[in-house]
Amino acid sequence: MDIGAPKRIIEVEPAVLPVPGPVREEPLPAAEPAPAPAEPGR
Amino acid sequence: MSSVDTGLVTAVERTTEPVVAWRSWALTGRRDGTRLLLRPVAGRAHPWHPREVATATCRRSGVFHEAPAIGCTCGLHAAQTLDILRWTKCPAVLGRVALWGRVVEHELGYRARFGYPQRLRLICQFCFWQKGPLGRTPAVVAFYPRDELVPLCAGHLESAHASGMPPRRLLPADLVDQRLRDTYAVDLLAI
Repeated sequence: MDIGAPKRIIEVEPAVLPVPGPVREEPLPAAEPAPAPAEPGR
Repeated sequence: MSSVDTGLVTAVERTTEPVVAWRSWALTGRRDGTRLLLRPVAGRAHPWHPREVATATCRRSGVFHEAPAIGCTCGLHAAQTLDILRWTKCPAVLGRVALWGRVVEHELGYRARFGYPQRLRLICQFCFWQKGPLGRTPAVVAFYPRDELVPLCAGHLESAHASGMPPRRLLPADLVDQRLRDTYAVDLLAI
């Protein structure tokens, strides 16, 4: 591929890299224990 | 600036916005359509791995130097216009690519240190040569020896058989196209 003669140099420092992150399967957090049933009123 | 940067281009502009340009790749993968990998259409340059930054290196002059250098042809190449890519060798995938780090702008394209595709789609290389992006959409992806995957429209699949180059296996092009975009986590190139 002929792209011709060079014209200028650009130094690009992107604030956010245009690359997706790796796929990681995070373990699901454990469920909170169910609250104890309230004592029946007297 | 390295010792090979002795050309007339010396001024350096700085920006935070990646350059976005056109590029084509060859495609390899397993016969079942897994392990899809974008590869440069020419030479023995490194493949573009999914979810990894593609980084240019160069040992062309026998001595390692940072790519791209002004006095060399090294770097990740991309084109300013789609039409230039019609003359590349055996393209299977067309896309828009983000380039960053040092980018040398040329009259018709770019050479960059870092890159990653942003949008991709399969193309029938024969339709692309003949008609550019207006060619027919690939119907199948043909599996050939050395894990080469070649998207073909129905007409050019017939031509492959007629010219004594029958594929070893055929995969549905729409599924390979979607899997490629999922693998690289990019969007569809709409052209």
